[in-house]
Amino acid sequence: MQRTRMPSLIQVEHLVKRYSGRRVPGSREVMSALNDVSFSLAPGRTLALVGESGSGKSTLALCLAGLERPTSGRIWFGGRDIVALDEKELRTVRPQIQLVFQDPVSSLNPRFTALEILREPLIVQQSGGRRETTERALAMLESVGLSREMAGRGPGEFSGGQRQRLAIARALSLAPKLVILDEALSALDCSVQAQIANLLLDLQSSFALTYLFITHDLAMAAHLGDEIAVMDRGRVVEQGVPEKIFHTPEQEATRRLVAAIPGSSVTPRLPRAL
Amino acid sequence: MRFLLRRLIHAIFLLFGVSILTFLFTSLAPGDYFGEMRLNPHIAPETVTALRAQYQLNRPLPVRYWRWVKSVVHGDLGFSFSYNSPVGPLIWVRARNTLLLTVTATLLTWGLALPLGVWSAERRGRLPDTLISWAMAGLLVVPDLLIALGLLLFAARSGWFPTGGLASVGFESLSPLDKLRDLALHMILPVVVLVLTALPLVVRHVRAAMSGVLDAPFLRAARGHGIRRYRLLYRYALPAAANPLISLFGFSIGALLSSSLLVEVIMSWPGMGPLLVEAILARDLYVVIGGVLLSTLFLVAGNFGADLLLYWADPRIRTEPDAK
Amino acid sequence: MIRRRKLAKWLAVLVALHGVIACAGFVAPYDPVAQDRKHPYAPPSKLHFLDTQGRVHIRPFLYPLRMREGLFNQYEEDTARTIPLKFFVDGSRYKLLGLVPCRLHLFGVDDARVYLLGSDGYGRDQLARILHGGQVSLLAGWLGAGITLFLGFGIGAMAGYYGGWRDEILMRFAELFLALPWLYLLFGLRAFLPLSVSPLQSFLLIVVVSGTLGWARPARLVRSVVLSAKERDFVRAARGFGASDQYLLRRHIFPETSSLLMTQATILVPQYVLAEMTLSFLGLGVPEPVASWGNLLGNLQQYSVLMSYWWMYLPALVIVPFFLCYLGLASALQEWANFSKIEG
Repeated sequence: MQRTRMPSLIQVEHLVKRYSGRRVPGSREVMSALNDVSFSLAPGRTLALVGESGSGKSTLALCLAGLERPTSGRIWFGGRDIVALDEKELRTVRPQIQLVFQDPVSSLNPRFTALEILREPLIVQQSGGRRETTERALAMLESVGLSREMAGRGPGEFSGGQRQRLAIARALSLAPKLVILDEALSALDCSVQAQIANLLLDLQSSFALTYLFITHDLAMAAHLGDEIAVMDRGRVVEQGVPEKIFHTPEQEATRRLVAAIPGSSVTPRLPRAL
Repeated sequence: MRFLLRRLIHAIFLLFGVSILTFLFTSLAPGDYFGEMRLNPHIAPETVTALRAQYQLNRPLPVRYWRWVKSVVHGDLGFSFSYNSPVGPLIWVRARNTLLLTVTATLLTWGLALPLGVWSAERRGRLPDTLISWAMAGLLVVPDLLIALGLLLFAARSGWFPTGGLASVGFESLSPLDKLRDLALHMILPVVVLVLTALPLVVRHVRAAMSGVLDAPFLRAARGHGIRRYRLLYRYALPAAANPLISLFGFSIGALLSSSLLVEVIMSWPGMGPLLVEAILARDLYVVIGGVLLSTLFLVAGNFGADLLLYWADPRIRTEPDAK
Repeated sequence: MIRRRKLAKWLAVLVALHGVIACAGFVAPYDPVAQDRKHPYAPPSKLHFLDTQGRVHIRPFLYPLRMREGLFNQYEEDTARTIPLKFFVDGSRYKLLGLVPCRLHLFGVDDARVYLLGSDGYGRDQLARILHGGQVSLLAGWLGAGITLFLGFGIGAMAGYYGGWRDEILMRFAELFLALPWLYLLFGLRAFLPLSVSPLQSFLLIVVVSGTLGWARPARLVRSVVLSAKERDFVRAARGFGASDQYLLRRHIFPETSSLLMTQATILVPQYVLAEMTLSFLGLGVPEPVASWGNLLGNLQQYSVLMSYWWMYLPALVIVPFFLCYLGLASALQEWANFSKIEG
């Protein structure tokens, strides 16, 4: 299949992240979370990153969002290497790459109201006065399918799915170019997952977003991703369109993931939207 | 083994750190033993200067510290101006008495707190637990000052216990058994005060730790196997709850040492407490430093003992992490 | 919510108790340092409603005290005269709450001295001394606790938030302080401060020194709260949209420590009050003639006082309701904190 050569939005080159293990007292164990990761992501597309737990997915997400410093490697974004930037410069780049976390409970401060949560990014970036930010926050609230009356409630009063909507709205409030969804659907019930997945697809077309969708669920990856990259032990071992990954997996890790899908012996090509 | 070695080195560093800290603090304060003398019109200022020089008080701080460290190694721990003798022998006698009191009090406290706490946790929410919690709360609220004074009054009024000191008159002429009896009689009240002060906190922590463990699945499984209650509690549950309790043990030693200072003064027990107070009032520098350091030594030793206990009790500490 | 009501109850009692102490000048009939050499160690005045002739008085009264013939420090009542108790009388000058000059006292008598809680060796009214002493001791407790919390929270938050070598060094330092038997060190420090200073200086010295010594334990607690708060996803998210360290500390991390702050305060204040009392009891704290609960109890070190004058024990008993309220408040706060944590 011919792939049009588009300039990539973000390009990762040979990313390595090592942790010196201080969990065990007295040992100087070194753990490699990322072992030479390379891939690129075209604008407007969705790359689904799949792997088992411990394969390094979340570490990758944090490095891309600028919240962790990789040990070595390069991340090209907007013409600059993020890894080389200092803290101040990084702070200007971070708003363009936003993260939606897996656990909707811990990613929203329980002491804040929904309105405060949505206004926070705008306040931090000082983009407008009180009325402006409130109005934009309420508009965001509606765009993810929640109503304005909910603005005064605290996160504890929302359901899991609603909380994720809130988290997504917050991520979008600064009009980022790249949204990284780190297992964002994994903690939700099945039916809710479908709803939020569809919401994500709608938002992508409305706001021309690029997604990096991280998951351990290959079926979900196929549903949402234009391309799938498989990670195993800190490395990208295989990359390709969903059909290829399903029908002709090359690597052992990929085969394991395919086999883990219930009913995978009968895998049709999954439709993009419901 | 590496764990213990590390803790030992840690303890030694701690002692050094404390000695330096104390020296530093005391040098920051204005005045010294001879300061009071200067106010006395009968003593010429030259005499004071000469005395200070004789006792090396006019030398810079690091020099004084080094000389003091050397004297510690000799066992002297500096020189007491009031008693006109090296601090070492003076303090060891007192320290022995303080240890007698604190060690007995620690053993008694834990000896009482463990069964009380375990029982409380077992009967959580029921009558024994409520009674014990109230009793402990009541003890917590009454300051040790009051308990000590109260018991002193009781001793004075009732005449059942001696109101102070270590030994009665004519102690030497008693038989060994009577000597022991006499000592015990003198020790009872101070020890009781210390135990009553420390008991509430320890019982509370034991109860909390045990409550956490009693809900655990492995214990339910053991009960299902038909293991007897006593074994269940003390051989299965308590070791699992031991970790936080062992750290508490180290802490309780420190708390008891501090309380013992006050109790010794009130009940005239010849330990480090009265010596320290006296030395403070007389501005006897090296006695004070020696006292502080010695009590720190006991505390550190006690904590190291707790580390030893931990090492013995928790197999996870013993497993070498890099032996894979 | 039951928990909130319990909390409010304890708080109310505590405020009331402190209120009485704060109005010491008003509640007490006399100045705490005013001596009356004619009535040393007078027992508490008995208030009567029925006189020797069988008449009932609406207003309580007392009989003036007279020393027994030949006996020292033993009193008997002179039933010839009745002296009524008056309320809201004019008396010695004082400053209400340290600010407003006033002369009004809650109660008093003419031509005699009413010693509701007895008098000490110099004939000073114990009620006045206990109330004013309470001001000193409680203030010492609050100031000491305040200093400790300020230092402890500052250092603990820094260590927890910045981590790395700063954390290592600060925590080693904390271990050092924790290893010290605090009373011994407090004494050690007190030793080398000049013995003959003004009461105010002595007071401040004790408070500052003891406050500075105790920072380690709260610091460790705060550090662990900050460490876990720092790893929370919402803090990461806030960093993700460009928040500065100050913003994070202020908006997200500090609120997490607020419940710890309150519980620690209720635990520390009684401890520091006790520290002041211990020092003053041994003569190393607040000196005469200023009263503090500690030096009032110091009188009991004399055997004669210990045995014969029971009312001199009262300062020790006065402390108990205060400690009880602090303890009750602490456990109510603890319950409330746990409960709101579950709610998420």
